[in-house]
Amino acid sequence: MNQIMEQFPIVVQALNIGFLQTLKLFAVTLLGAVPLGLIIAFGSMSRFRPLSWLTKVVVWIIRGTPLMIQLLIIFYFPGLVMGKQIWGSGETGRFLASAVAFIFNYACYFSEIYRGGIQSIPVGQEEAGLVLGMTRQQIFFKVTLLQMIKRIVPPMSNEIITLVKDTSLARIIALQEIIWAGQAFLKGSQGISGQIWPLFFTAVYYLIFSGILTVLLGWLEKKLDYFR
Amino acid sequence: MKKRVLSLLLCGCMAVSLLAGCGSKEAPEADAGTETEAPAENGENEEAPEAESADGSDMEYVKSKGSLVVGITDFEPMDYKDEDGAWIGFDADMAKAFAESLGVEVEFVEIDWDNKVFELDSKAIDCVWNGMTLTAEVTSAMECSNAYCNNAQIVVVPADQADQYQDTDSLKDLNFAVEAGSAGEAEVDALGLSFTPVKDQASALMEVKSKASDAAVIDSLMAAAMVGEGTGYADLTYTVQLNSEEYGVGFRKGSDLAAALNDFFAAAYEDGSMKECAETYNVQAALIEQ
Repeated sequence: MNQIMEQFPIVVQALNIGFLQTLKLFAVTLLGAVPLGLIIAFGSMSRFRPLSWLTKVVVWIIRGTPLMIQLLIIFYFPGLVMGKQIWGSGETGRFLASAVAFIFNYACYFSEIYRGGIQSIPVGQEEAGLVLGMTRQQIFFKVTLLQMIKRIVPPMSNEIITLVKDTSLARIIALQEIIWAGQAFLKGSQGISGQIWPLFFTAVYYLIFSGILTVLLGWLEKKLDYFR
Repeated sequence: MKKRVLSLLLCGCMAVSLLAGCGSKEAPEADAGTETEAPAENGENEEAPEAESADGSDMEYVKSKGSLVVGITDFEPMDYKDEDGAWIGFDADMAKAFAESLGVEVEFVEIDWDNKVFELDSKAIDCVWNGMTLTAEVTSAMECSNAYCNNAQIVVVPADQADQYQDTDSLKDLNFAVEAGSAGEAEVDALGLSFTPVKDQASALMEVKSKASDAAVIDSLMAAAMVGEGTGYADLTYTVQLNSEEYGVGFRKGSDLAAALNDFFAAAYEDGSMKECAETYNVQAALIEQ
């Protein structure tokens, strides 16, 4: 116990650095995937059939393969095939590759949630808008989108909380996020070796962060509780 | 209705062939791009590995970008972090000196050990310099330097049971934890002992500490630094040595840097700087004459 008290500050410092990387990946993924998901949703709902089919095939591939494989392919494939490491060496390159893989993967999941949300709005509302002489763009932004946002909050919360924990997959391409930082003490790092508790302790970070997110998303849901 | 289904199917085919088309179009292009350099590169490196300033050689590549990216893991006493977070260790210090002799910056990158060959081939790193055992798999996948350090696979057991396990015969009832794909796994397998492959050597030690396995097989250099009194594994100790093996540095297949490193090692051994560095990290007994 005494030993753990001594090690605690060193471990927490290392875990904080790792968690910062986790948070960065989380934020970048969310910022990229939320808008990209909408574009993909439009693609899959497009009346131009080849486009909607192409989008659906892409979504099928991305959702149908493990994110871990996608990370490995995105990071190693360009260098192996083209003979040029496009991501750059070091941690920045690994972060970039992870961010691209995560944004694309999550955008595909988000797109299906958006599509569900948009299609859950009764057609009657669109028809009413057309009768009133609104353009399709006006109908989407002034009628459909607001109601869609309200309806997709619960399923989006699910995905967002899953994303917090999925960021740990990026350790496969040696992105040094919090799980990596915790595992380092198992082997030995900064004079501490053979300790498994730092790895267990990372769960506290995830728990606190997803707790904060749950409260925030719950507040958002309440805030959006207009016209039921 | 039938017509519609048909048109959907055709669209699907089109989409797929579009994807396939992209793939097949890009492949020859990429081939053509590398073709101009590849034969020259291979030819020169295979026939004359010493040719140092050939165009398109790995050494030129490293010098042109100005940094030698060294793939490592946190592995005391070869590569590990000091209190300030800087990389030190016998391998780390030698890598710094080698980069200096090339006139480039050294950059250490932590990698996932399972992916070391991909890391090299995809040019994410330029060499693997982390107490790497020269096995047949390693030497066939990488251009390796001469061996510079002796190592052995050694059995780790709880200290209070150590007196029961002092020879190979006494090990047969034990359940071993070994690093998947390691030299230790090969040794245990060859002896016909029962074992569980785990992610890395540290996990193998954790298995023994948590009593999930009876014993582990790890590198002797690592055991010397990490097991026993005053370490995180104070209640463990090491007993039987199963084999002996050697450490080397791995470069991309066909790289001329391996030969350059051999020259560097020879010079550093000659002037005593290599031995001095080994003494700093207490591995001088394992050093191999260059």
